[in-house]
This record gives sequence, structure tokens and C-alpha cells, in this order.
Amino acid sequence: MITHPIRRSPSKGLDLAIALAGAFAALLSFFLFGWLVWDLVRLGLPKLSWSFFSGEVEDAGRGGGIAPILVSTLGILACCLGLAIPLGTGCAIWLSEFVRRGSAWARLVASGVDLLAGVPSIVFGLFGMVFFAQTLGLGFSILSGGLTLACMILPLLVRTTLTALESLPADLRPAAAGLGLSKTTTTFRLLLPAALPGIVIGITLGVGRALSETAALLFTSGYSTRMPESFSDSGRALSVHIYDLALNVANGSAMASSSALVLLALILLVNSAAVALSEHWLRRRSSAS
Amino acid sequence: MNAAALHISGLSVSYRDLTALREVDLAIPEGQITALIGPSGCGKSSFLHALNRLTDLVPGCRVSGSIRLADGTEVTDPQTDVLALRRRVGIVFQRPNPFPQSIRRNFEIPLKEHGWAKSDIPDRIETVLREVGLWKEISDRLHQNASTLSGGQQQRLCLARALALEPEVILFDEPCSALDPLASGVVEDLILSLREKVTVVIVTHHLAQARRIADHAAVFWTRDGAGTLVEQGPAERVFSSPQDPDAILYLNGARG
Repeated sequence: MITHPIRRSPSKGLDLAIALAGAFAALLSFFLFGWLVWDLVRLGLPKLSWSFFSGEVEDAGRGGGIAPILVSTLGILACCLGLAIPLGTGCAIWLSEFVRRGSAWARLVASGVDLLAGVPSIVFGLFGMVFFAQTLGLGFSILSGGLTLACMILPLLVRTTLTALESLPADLRPAAAGLGLSKTTTTFRLLLPAALPGIVIGITLGVGRALSETAALLFTSGYSTRMPESFSDSGRALSVHIYDLALNVANGSAMASSSALVLLALILLVNSAAVALSEHWLRRRSSAS
Repeated sequence: MNAAALHISGLSVSYRDLTALREVDLAIPEGQITALIGPSGCGKSSFLHALNRLTDLVPGCRVSGSIRLADGTEVTDPQTDVLALRRRVGIVFQRPNPFPQSIRRNFEIPLKEHGWAKSDIPDRIETVLREVGLWKEISDRLHQNASTLSGGQQQRLCLARALALEPEVILFDEPCSALDPLASGVVEDLILSLREKVTVVIVTHHLAQARRIADHAAVFWTRDGAGTLVEQGPAERVFSSPQDPDAILYLNGARG
């Protein structure tokens, strides 16, 4: 029998130390999140009531509710997604299916999109003010704000959709080609449905960023706390409302916390809806529907 | 001998600077099974994929020479309608590749694309599923995702999907190599059952399988850095008394 001399036994002590450090990091992360939520609930929950959701903004936000704010927020989000989803999906489809990978055009567009992702949101705000509000004459409006946000989340949507399309099983495209399917049919009947879970995750992240954006909206959708009557009215987004209450309104912090709690709940709602949706799709894919 | 379903002359395939296949002349007899055999990397798959222009999908791939269908259609002509060509010359790949959608959708998508009337589609699905012996097994779960089927069932589904479009020729790219022996036997019997109905061209690494099913055999070999055809003829003759020295060694199991 061949025996090998034992050089050094694997270190169990190191394993333990790494495990403990990991556990500590995990606990700390959770503690920070828990603290944040607890603080918001403690400060914000007492003011939450039906009238908070249905009431007009009173006394610069110290009193009343946030109904117009919620309507403006949803309006801005609708404009944003209405432009960003078709544009982002279209760009990703073009990059992944219609131009040869690595061609000059593809590289140019892809690096442009990536560059856009690194632009600070306040710069988007300035651009939106000059381009949408002034040049296109849309003014301080929900439309201006939504379109500015669309530009901001566009790179995110392109990237996630592109990744989803590129990580599809490699044999899907030859299978389709072998049956004589056109590029349009392949893209819309096969690839997009298969990539949908990934696309939805991208949209969810985009919604999260759009909902929490302040800087890009300050000079585009404006401050008005009136109930907007159309997309061309100025409207204050929830995040801008929180910013204003916390910074510019004396004794506004309680209402700021309540609004922040609503914003957090809204984002959690969007996230869990997206997770539920993709799990539903995954279940349908792996078993009977 | 029957008429040729495919008439190939001077066919070469290259990928950028690399010549994969050089100057192949071959007539594929109609309604028979032609087996393409030879070691890996000798251009068999490139040859097969050139027959319905799947080589178009590979960036930098160039095909020259002539491939004529029975009616005179020139496959390599850039003007040829590729989508219609691929309906006429179908393919079954090495790994089963059903679309990750319901079994029914796997048929509906290609059938609709090629102009079948919506009302004819259910009958068409039943006919081809019966042809591949899947109807009894899965007729009550056409709404289920095709990826829930076993590997062998998926491969038969892919064959049925290709058959649904009523092709004149079906290309098989090592259709059994990803299957277990039992499922492989089932698929092999199905290929045999296609004889006289469609023209079959099959690439296989499995010499015993080629011997069992082929009417016609073509041996590929690498010469001067590129794959080429070194021996071809009726399967019986090729297997019993090959002429080419490399083919003799290969078919006797001494090389390749």
C-alpha cells in the first residue's frame, strides 16, 4: 500500500471564522434594513389613514393627504414605462437578433447605452428640462418628468432584456431556423416569450428606480401639489414630496415618514408582484399548466 | 436507382480561413436513406447544414458549388427563398430542441408560419404524432410544456414537428447520440419507417446503425486539412468492399 505523508490538515478553524464573519455580515445587513423599516413605521404609521390617501395636500404638506401626489406619481410612471419599455425592448432585440454580434454598429450602440447608465440622474434632470420642457415645449409637466425618467431607466431595460435574450438556450434559434420560421416569428413567438421572466425583472428594477428618483424630476415634472388634470399638468412625485417635506417644510418630517412608508410599500408591492409573476411562469414552464 | 432528390456538385464550405469541406459531388437518391459517416471534424455536419442553408446562421461561413433539388431549385442561389426551402428540407438535430412552450404550440407556430389553415392544424398534429407513435402517449396533454417530455419523446416530437410541414427531405444530424439505447432504437425504427415517404440524409457516428438503416452510404475523411468525400455508393457495397484505403480501415474499425 502507498502511504502519503500528511503535510497539513485542512484548517477547520478558518472555515469556522469565515462562517461566523459571513453570519455577522448577514445579520448586520438585515438589522440595518429592519431598523430603517422600524423607524419609518414608528414615525409614519400614526398619520396613515384613509384620508391620508384620499385627501388634498394642505399646509405645504404638514396636513391633509397625498392623493394628488399619488396620482402624479402613477402618471409619471405610466409615461416613463410607456416610452421606456418599447424603446428598451426594441433596442435589445435589434442588438441581439438583427445585427451581427461584435459589428461596429452593435458596439457603438451598446457602449452608448452603457455610457448612459453611468450618467448621474441630476444630469438627466437638466437634460429633461432643456429638451422636453423647453425645446419640445412640454413645460413642467408629468409628461416631461416621465420621459426624462424613461431616458434614465432605458439603459437598465436594454441591458436586462439583452442579457435575457442572450442567455436563452443556444439551440432555440437553429431549431426555429430549421423549421423555416421568419425572424419576426422567431423573435416574437419564441424568443420574447422565453425571455419574458428576465424582461419583467428588468422592468421591476426600472420601476423601483423611477419611483425613488428625485433629482431628475425636480426640474421636469415640478412641485405643484394640485391634483393633475392631464399629463401636461405639473405634478409632484412621491419622492419629490418626501424631499420637500424633509428639507423645506418645518415640522414636516412626520408626514415625510408617512409618505416614505407609502413609497416603500409601493416598491415592495411592485417587486413581489414581479416575483410572483415570474414564479408563475417558471412553474408553467417546468410542469403542467 | 431512383431519381436524385438532391444533386450536389463541387460543394465546398469554409469558415473564414478554414476550409471545412472541399469539392463534394454526391447524388442523394429520392425516398432512400443516405448515411454520411466518418470521423469527427471531417465536414459531415457542414455538408448537412449546407443542404438547407443553416450554414447562413454561422457568421463568416461561405458555401460554394451547387445543390439542386429535384425540381431544379438551386439551394445555394442567394435569390432562393430560404424559409420555403427549409420547409421542403427539414432537419432533426442531435439534441432534442422542442420550443419551451406547449406541445401544441410547437406545431402551431411552424404550421401557421407556412400557411396551414387554423382549422386543419389539429388534424395535422394528430396525424404526425401518430406517425411517430406519440399520439397515445401524449394526446391528453398537448397543453403541457414540451420540455416535460422525456429525451426520447422530445426527439420524436421534433421529428413529428419536422414531418408536419410535409418536407421532401429530412436531414438528421446524429439524431440518436444524445439518447439512451432504448429511445435510440425507437428513433432508429422511425427513421426506417420514413423510407419511400421522404428522402432521408443522416449523419451518424454509429457505424452499426448506419449499416442497419442505410440504403446508400457516403464516407467522409480529412484530406489536406479539409473534409472531403472519399467513398460513396450503395450501402451494402460500401460496407462489404470499400475501395478507399482510409475508408477500408475506418469501416473495419481500425481507424477514426
